[in-house]
Amino acid sequence: MSILIIMIPLTLLLLVGAGMAFFWAVDHDQFDDLQTPALLPLLDDTRTMTPGDESGEEPKP
Amino acid sequence: MSAAGCWHCGETLPAVGAVLARSAGIEHAVCCQGCRAAVEWIDQLGLADYYRLRSEPATRVASGVDIDRDSTLWSRPELARHVVRELEGGQRETLLLIDGVRCAACVWLIERSLGSLAGMTSVQVNASARRARIVWDDSRCTLARIIETLARTGYQALPLDAATLDDLRRRESRAALKRLLVAGFGAMQAMMIASGLYLGAFDGTDTSMRDLLRWFSLLVATPVVLYAARPFFAGAWRSVRAGALGMDVPVALAVALIYLSSLIETVQGGREVYFDSVSMFVFILLIGRYLEMRARHRSGDLSDALARLSPPFADRMGDDGSLQRVGAIELQVGDRIHVAEGSGVPADGTLLSARCRVDESLLSGESRALTRQCGETLIAGSLLLEGPAELRVERVGGDTVLAGIGRLVTRAATQRPRLALAGERAAAHFVARVLSLAALTALGWTLFEPSRAFAATLAVLVVSCPCAFALAVPAALTRALAVLARRGVLVARADAIEQLAMASHAVFDKTGTLTEPHLALESQDPGFGTCDSRDARSRHTVAAAVANDALALAGSLARGSRHPLALAITTAAGNLATHAVEAMRAETGGGLEGIIDGRKLRLGHAGFALTAGVADTSLDDAVVLADDSGVIAAFHLTERLRPGAKAAVDALVADGLSIEICSGDAPTKVAAAAAQLGIKHWHARLRPADKLARLSALHADGARVIVVGDGINDAPILAAADVAVSFASGADLAQASSDIVLAGDRLDALGCARRIARETLRVLRQNQRWALAYNLLAVPFAALGFVPPWLAAIGMSASSLVVVLNALRIGREQPRYTAALRPAVGVGR
Repeated sequence: MSILIIMIPLTLLLLVGAGMAFFWAVDHDQFDDLQTPALLPLLDDTRTMTPGDESGEEPKP
Repeated sequence: MSAAGCWHCGETLPAVGAVLARSAGIEHAVCCQGCRAAVEWIDQLGLADYYRLRSEPATRVASGVDIDRDSTLWSRPELARHVVRELEGGQRETLLLIDGVRCAACVWLIERSLGSLAGMTSVQVNASARRARIVWDDSRCTLARIIETLARTGYQALPLDAATLDDLRRRESRAALKRLLVAGFGAMQAMMIASGLYLGAFDGTDTSMRDLLRWFSLLVATPVVLYAARPFFAGAWRSVRAGALGMDVPVALAVALIYLSSLIETVQGGREVYFDSVSMFVFILLIGRYLEMRARHRSGDLSDALARLSPPFADRMGDDGSLQRVGAIELQVGDRIHVAEGSGVPADGTLLSARCRVDESLLSGESRALTRQCGETLIAGSLLLEGPAELRVERVGGDTVLAGIGRLVTRAATQRPRLALAGERAAAHFVARVLSLAALTALGWTLFEPSRAFAATLAVLVVSCPCAFALAVPAALTRALAVLARRGVLVARADAIEQLAMASHAVFDKTGTLTEPHLALESQDPGFGTCDSRDARSRHTVAAAVANDALALAGSLARGSRHPLALAITTAAGNLATHAVEAMRAETGGGLEGIIDGRKLRLGHAGFALTAGVADTSLDDAVVLADDSGVIAAFHLTERLRPGAKAAVDALVADGLSIEICSGDAPTKVAAAAAQLGIKHWHARLRPADKLARLSALHADGARVIVVGDGINDAPILAAADVAVSFASGADLAQASSDIVLAGDRLDALGCARRIARETLRVLRQNQRWALAYNLLAVPFAALGFVPPWLAAIGMSASSLVVVLNALRIGREQPRYTAALRPAVGVGR
């Protein structure tokens, strides 16, 4: 049982770390808009996804 | 993409003279020069991908001339001073309200197009709030450039007052999120350690380990109580100072007492600690508060809604009659301003020019042209339909009628007393009872056995405030919110559910609420004698065919216009053959003119369509189709009842509510709608203040009132209502002052909402009774010391579980209700 004396402070330490990370995230706009950013990666840089089209030139359909 | 609509904004293409725009090497048909400019501008920036990515069409774009004129204005230092904040190192910051943000592709487009400007530091677009926070380097970019770029891309941007940069809402939601996290982490840890303590009670772990675990849980619970629970303490302190026992007082008292007593127990090595309970209690209450805050923020912001209504610019006239374009904030009383046809009135003023026609739907709720003569007053925010007009400014800024409506809304919202007061009284009673019970226990034990007085008193305090009691209300309300949201009923204030269930009266606005905002063709008078005998081309002898012929002509003309009346006629013409229209011309405030088969036709109000002058007064309200020799047909347009309006009214009446209509419209129209819906009580021609007076009268009789409205003129009465309902398609201002927003177009969601609200209240009462019964059973045993920790833990979990499971029953019966409403549809889902 004496292992608890080390384990519990360790969890508390982790907890403080996680809390600090979360506070940082809140202060840096990470939670201000929860809908739009989720979609943005889907829209970002779609052109470079086409192989052999590194120039960013719009392909002519 | 098909050629059905404009490539950019999706609106109907004009019948003649379509404009072509080049994007990614392909020609696309667009509806106007503004949209063409936007398409080509977006293509030039290399952002043509936008058209592939978007899920909604864009909004129609203003023409280039207006963009240049309006955006350069923001470079005026007198105006920029109000809206821009200076940061360090020559950086400037502003908050823009952006119209036309429809989907994520818009955010992408805005960020990219602004990012292509030199000197941009950061662009943050919030799609749901339709706001963008922009920081730029003032030496390399200007506010005018930014707004111009946005306008060219197709978004109207309006800089908000610099005072809004602090953004109270953002601060509030950030703080709430942090508190929620601290409480959640603390509650989890405290529970974990507590389970160790309970297990220890079985195993008989030595007291040193028990004390160590207690100190750890004290460590975990301390930030929860001192940081996360601070809003409760602040609220309690406020209400105590105001001389009332508010909802926060029992919460704060319970939290403080449990925490302090557990602290003392820990230090003394006493019987029991309750750090887990207190953390969990705070966490659950914070979840409820957080959900409520999120809903409140989503429902809209009053200041944004007001800012959208009034035009940002005005044309000030100099002494020599020259015009200078200035910001509306710069106007002063006594200024002479010029208002162009089709634009908004920037300030309240007296009309100096002879006459004009305005749309004051802002005040009356009815979109119809009103004639104003010289010397009469025009109000800010109304739309000049026929002008131009010259005004002498009489009231500006906070003194305008528009700002007054805003204040009415705010004041009414703060005077929302009835049920809130009842709730506070109940809370006060609860505290009083718990405290007196604890005092009695303490007294009793002091008389018999003083050594056990403290422990027993503590047990009473703790047991009278267990998880079941804390969960009873939030669990039921959260479940109800979710069930309602799935049915298209968004609840902005959680206690609106209770008030919806308790309501005794319902007051409806008419236009746009019971009726649809769109007009429909009611009747048509074809051929006015002269027309029939004269019209040699009319080969039809059957009256219906003549009518269809006229309707087809009118529809062909109307197709080119977006005016609500024209839209109604186009819809009515539907599938009838379209004629090719040549030399199409629209006269603002008049009507449409064009040549079909060599015949010059005019469609519009009688004064415009009949060049020879109007003789027949029956044509006053009609849309007239005429050629040079006279009337061909007259169309009478009417409002259509909103889908589900009858069902909603019937459901509410069956539920025992008394229903009335309060409308700003003319008595005959209100009477007609009331007759159709079977509503006996109605009031017509009410202004916002009259509606408010009617509501006060109902309140004075002890009624609890549901108000359903959608217009700006309804905002004050909505704010003062016990529960206010509006439509997601309605005015921003109306939504901002509503408790409940109906997402769809159908009104029968309201009957369903009322039903669920009543069910919620029933479950809520059951939960509270259960928690009370559990407490009544547990308190005596706990007070007498018969409850060991493990039994308390099981009892507590079981009682909480019962409460949550009971709450999950809400909304279960709903399918049967839907089936009963529409038997033809079938049973079940």
